[in-house]
Amino acid sequence: MYAILEARDAGVDTLQRARQGDHEAFAEIVGSHESMVYGLAYHFFQDRGRGEEIAQDVFLQLYRSLDSIESPSHLLFWLRQVTSRRCIDAVRRAKIARPVPLEAVELQSVIKDADPFLERKLRQLVADLPEAQRLVITLRYQEDLDPAEICRIVEMPINTVKSHLHRALTALRKKLGDH
Amino acid sequence: MNLEHELRAALRRKSPAPGLAERVLARAHEVPERRPVRRAPWAVAASLLLAVTLAGWGAHRRAEGERAREQVLLAMRIAGSKVAYAQQQVRGISK
Repeated sequence: MYAILEARDAGVDTLQRARQGDHEAFAEIVGSHESMVYGLAYHFFQDRGRGEEIAQDVFLQLYRSLDSIESPSHLLFWLRQVTSRRCIDAVRRAKIARPVPLEAVELQSVIKDADPFLERKLRQLVADLPEAQRLVITLRYQEDLDPAEICRIVEMPINTVKSHLHRALTALRKKLGDH
Repeated sequence: MNLEHELRAALRRKSPAPGLAERVLARAHEVPERRPVRRAPWAVAASLLLAVTLAGWGAHRRAEGERAREQVLLAMRIAGSKVAYAQQQVRGISK
């Protein structure tokens, strides 16, 4: 209990210092959340360059918006929401081509093989989903968020989020089952 | 295979290349924040003056056009009455 309270106080203190222009405190915040932000963007695009670009843009926006961040929990929500929006905006603006669908033979061999290959192929299958499904699946399984939390981040009705999740899982099962 | 379990493993968080914070801070200091454009008062005054001048010039052109139209109509009316008078005279001579 005390450990949780201390960690929360430390987060508040870091945020306060970052607001006052302390670069070390800001770097601490980036360090605490970079794998979440970069992970969301990387899994969304399946591209390291895009992941880095989105992560830099999100943290740059954070740097300029520190005064509007109320608490560490608000910071976490804000980062998830801004990252999600930037991913969707980027794909709409640039009409980025989705990754090439997997070859049947390749996937079949993967399922029978070791897990790292299955993970890689699953990531590719996720990246091949429509953008809204891709986003809710990534938030659900990377961040372990439930539909109620996801709907607040992506600003969609909860039934739409549930529908996207259901469709995405059905599509993934079908693609895996087809092979 | 438990798909949800596999998805959690496949989509776990991922770290970027080291030094992200430094790269962000470098960008923050390289690219100044875009601030709302503040126009100089003289520029606002000049724009207003230009708008008023153009509007006045347009009104003047419209008034000139209207005057010219009235003059043409008057000329046509005069010409018409002259033609009618001439016809009357011609009819009188021919009787």
